[in-house]
Amino acid sequence: MTRWLRHVALLVALAGVGSCAVQPSPVEQGPQAPTGLAPGVTLYFLDDGDLVPQERQTRRLGSMQEAVSLLLTGPGGSGLATGIAEVAVHTTHVTVGEDVIDVRLPLPTGDVTSDGVDQIVCTVLATHVQAGGSPEMQVRLTFTDVPATNSNPLTEPRTCPLL
Amino acid sequence: MFVLIAVLGASAAAWAGAQYASRALTDSSQQQHADALVAQVTAAAPTVEYPPSRDALDQLRAAVGPHALAVYQDAQSASGIFIAQDGLITSDLRDAVANATAPGGTFTQRVMVEDTPWVVIGAPVMLTAPDGTRSPSGVEVYRAQDLSPVDADIDALTRAAIGTSALVLPVAVLLALLASRTVLAPVRRLRTTARRLADGDLNARTHPRGVDELAQLTSTVNEMAESLQQSMVSMARIQDDARRFAADVSHELRTPLSTLTAAVEVLDDAFQHRSAPHPGTDASTSTDTDAAQESARMALVETRRLVRLVEDIMEIARFDAGTAAMRLEPTDLLALARDCVRSRGWTQDVTLTSPEGADLVVQADRRRLDVVLANLVGNARRHGAPPVRIAFSAAPDAVEVTVADSGPGIGEDVLPRIFTRFYKADAARTRSHGSGLGLAIAWENTALHGGSLTAANTPDGGAQFTMWLPRAGSTPEGEER
Repeated sequence: MTRWLRHVALLVALAGVGSCAVQPSPVEQGPQAPTGLAPGVTLYFLDDGDLVPQERQTRRLGSMQEAVSLLLTGPGGSGLATGIAEVAVHTTHVTVGEDVIDVRLPLPTGDVTSDGVDQIVCTVLATHVQAGGSPEMQVRLTFTDVPATNSNPLTEPRTCPLL
Repeated sequence: MFVLIAVLGASAAAWAGAQYASRALTDSSQQQHADALVAQVTAAAPTVEYPPSRDALDQLRAAVGPHALAVYQDAQSASGIFIAQDGLITSDLRDAVANATAPGGTFTQRVMVEDTPWVVIGAPVMLTAPDGTRSPSGVEVYRAQDLSPVDADIDALTRAAIGTSALVLPVAVLLALLASRTVLAPVRRLRTTARRLADGDLNARTHPRGVDELAQLTSTVNEMAESLQQSMVSMARIQDDARRFAADVSHELRTPLSTLTAAVEVLDDAFQHRSAPHPGTDASTSTDTDAAQESARMALVETRRLVRLVEDIMEIARFDAGTAAMRLEPTDLLALARDCVRSRGWTQDVTLTSPEGADLVVQADRRRLDVVLANLVGNARRHGAPPVRIAFSAAPDAVEVTVADSGPGIGEDVLPRIFTRFYKADAARTRSHGSGLGLAIAWENTALHGGSLTAANTPDGGAQFTMWLPRAGSTPEGEER
């Protein structure tokens, strides 16, 4: 009986030590693949009053600030229009929250038409999604003349009508 | 057995626990590294050129970690173990990563590099359109991570499990022993009871404890014993009643039978005397007288037979009641047999053979052995055929007497029941001279002496009865037919 017991205990101990260590494995599925590469950034302009995407060959996706800054510089010679007035300062601040991306613009409300608001929102969201962000995000704009707490319809969280 | 099971169970549990924990540890570590790769690449990718230049690949690889590889078409950028070990990425993993389709996933594989476990994570970097649709970019990143710390953790865990088992096992064994005792003790008690019942102690009972199946079984066994006891008691009473009835009947019959015998004898005598002095009376009267005389004779014979039967039944009843008295005295069996044969006038038919100078003296009741011998020899003469041979053989503690005849022997179907009361070998010969109790009485008488009486057939066909008698003439208790 005792010899039996010793054998059993030894066997169990061996089995435990022998097979508990990390073993080689076959290929296993992991989490979703990364993303974020892009040949350029997508900006949104107006073509006869319709919102259209325009890809700028920047050779990389870049950040949301860069995208908005590029948007503020205007459509250039592409023949498209923009709903945002030209300004000297292109610096914007982008804060990504849990469900809302806050974009602080160097503009007063009077410089942006409602189509211009959509342009900014779509550009920000497109960059966010391309960088692997959630498409469920909303964008809240802040202007130089309207505090974020104000209940101005322009400063409410919104989504892109195209995406 | 219980102990073994307990040990095995505890060990298996510890082993399974350690296994599960080690797998969980490995999986979580692997998941963590894969998540880190995805987060690092996703964070770095927007600043990386696409299509990537050599510098861009370096940038991407650097963002992933010390052991990393970034591949785009023919170009690649490697660092750490990916430079040292060429075969780190198995073809399986490479294929899985290269053939990834939208939305794309990462793949992990554990490999051993010089006895060190590593996990290799491969991922295609995807392109995402503004509307969220994904497509492969052709860029692949790999990251390797040394799993030695995890291995060390698992080792520690296993050691802890073994240590804990070693500590707990004696306690478990002790508990198992205790548990087995509480379970097995009632079983043992029940077994003892069953054994006592089997040995004839019908008063044996086990007090049932608890309300489990074992207690139910105990109650059932008790009930079985109870009903067995009751039926045994009632059976014994019935048997007792039957015996007493036989004894009472025969006793009650004896007195009237004596009177009847005397009367019939007188009647028979009267006819004898009457027929002798009147030889010349007329024919019809003579015929009537002859018939009457014949009837009287028959009545006398049958009455005597009846008396013998009643006496035999009374003898049997005495055996059954255990009241048969024994008068033991040193008896020489040869002399006894010779007297028995001579007094009954059978000398012509019987031969006696005994070994020269053999000691044939036993402690016995002379009258009872005479009855036995007379019965055996009488049967041999009546049912078998003369000559009847009585032979003796002596052993240090017993004497054997065989009575053999020269008749046709005993039927094989009769042999087992030949000592049964009222059993008659020949069903047609119901009105034999015997009472049907002779051999039964002989058997009982032999048994009273502590001996045995057996019947068999000799090789040359005759019946042979063997009476074995111990010299001490003891009377063992509980002789059963």
